[in-house]
Amino acid sequence: MFAAATSGLAKNTSFKVVLPFYFYAALCFLFASILLIFSSAAFTQHYFHPYTLTVTHAMALGWGTMIILGASHQLVPVLIEGALFSDFLAYCSFIAAALGIPLLLYGFYHFDFSVFTKAGAILINLAIIFYLVNLAVSMARSKKENVHAIFVFTAALWLLITTLLGLLLLYNFTSNILSNDSLYYLPVHAHIGVIGWFLLMVMGVGSRLIPLFLISKYHNEKLLWWIFILINLALIIFIFNFLFSFYPVINFFCVGAIALAIGLFGYYCRKAYQQRLRRKVDGQLRISLLSIAFMVIPVVLSIVLIILSFYFVENNSVVLAYGFCIFFGWITAIILGMTFKTLPFILWNRTYHHRSAVQKTPNPKDLFNSRVFNMMAVAYLIGFVVFLIGIFGGFIYVLQVGAVCIFLSAILFNLNIFKMVIHKPDSK
Amino acid sequence: MNEITNDNDKCAIALEALHHVIDPEIGLNIVDLGLIYQLDFDEKTKIIYCTMTLTTQFCPMGESISDGAKNCLENTFEGYQININLTFDPPWNADKISPEGQQFLN
Repeated sequence: MFAAATSGLAKNTSFKVVLPFYFYAALCFLFASILLIFSSAAFTQHYFHPYTLTVTHAMALGWGTMIILGASHQLVPVLIEGALFSDFLAYCSFIAAALGIPLLLYGFYHFDFSVFTKAGAILINLAIIFYLVNLAVSMARSKKENVHAIFVFTAALWLLITTLLGLLLLYNFTSNILSNDSLYYLPVHAHIGVIGWFLLMVMGVGSRLIPLFLISKYHNEKLLWWIFILINLALIIFIFNFLFSFYPVINFFCVGAIALAIGLFGYYCRKAYQQRLRRKVDGQLRISLLSIAFMVIPVVLSIVLIILSFYFVENNSVVLAYGFCIFFGWITAIILGMTFKTLPFILWNRTYHHRSAVQKTPNPKDLFNSRVFNMMAVAYLIGFVVFLIGIFGGFIYVLQVGAVCIFLSAILFNLNIFKMVIHKPDSK
Repeated sequence: MNEITNDNDKCAIALEALHHVIDPEIGLNIVDLGLIYQLDFDEKTKIIYCTMTLTTQFCPMGESISDGAKNCLENTFEGYQININLTFDPPWNADKISPEGQQFLN
């Protein structure tokens, strides 16, 4: 038997780096959905409520951020066409975040901003710094820079600004270090996170992956640069307006710019879809594409909020619906779809890469149960709509029914993840 | 595939065998996907040089696809050493998909 050689194969990120992020995020989604059932009544009260804060941070940090961090350790090499600098930094990032998030959530739930809550926030900031350093060195070492990588790096920078501001707000609760109370600064903290981190990240990665999955010939780098400029410009103007002047009219401009960016991104995805070679689009990609439509709801609600601010009116249910549509709508929809577009391949590769063309292997999509996936998607969509109706109507029972449906979708999501992880190859 | 080979008969056998290596994400074989660039057969040293690409350089499935090609050629040509050379020049694009591949995707 002769030895065989393969040259030119790039080193990919190990699955061991990525998987902990996915598991942690899946459990956080389950935890947040349980909390949603038992804290439904909080969604009929003021949005600055311990339970609402806990659910929001469980979704934003434990669910959205953790799964994006995990997936990006795998996908960044694809975007920058270079290897991830350090697996060790990725592990450090996971451990710091995994320890910090429960401490922070416990603090929010009990409305206790003692040393443990602050330690949690510090650990989360450390996790983001590890991630940012890993990203920066990986990009610096890569031969090729492109618009997608710039999106991802800028998003990570905004994430660090969000978590640093969050830490500052936490200290401001106990010792007045800012000129206003922490509640006053919440909109800036939340929007830097949602627009700067989530929106930029989803667009940067999505603009690369959606054409890749559809096998589409469409690519328009100029359009992506315009989207990048619009989002960052709108966010910077929003921050300065909030901190130094506060003219609601300027916020209209910011929402307009973000809406235009989302519209352009929708156009980009539509063109990629139209010019695809792969005619059959699977359920996972369909739910991810649906999440782009979900972006429109928060935009509409933000316009309503600005109009209300002209009359110095603050409508709690609109604010709560706005946050709910972002975290349980848009972000959750894209994660539910993209998890089953990335994780089966990571796990398939772990089990079968040496067996390829030696024996019959299943398809990566056979690693999870597609019926369970469909049931999860239906439970999620029903839960989302029912809970939203409950927020606007202020009906606790409706909120609980919606929360139970979302909990069911979280259970089904975790079941499928578990099924994939315990998958063993057929010994025959 | 770029029709560059030093043995058309063996190349046809190799390509037929490589039809069994499937890109797990797309579900299409690597020949119709246009990943195979060149196949050369060195009868003196009993080495098969397979120059191929991936849809993207840091493709997470890259190792399984190149391993699949190697395993497949090893099984088809017993006694030969297989040398897989991954290249990204020229990079893969959708135009490299064969008419059969396009039909499959449709």
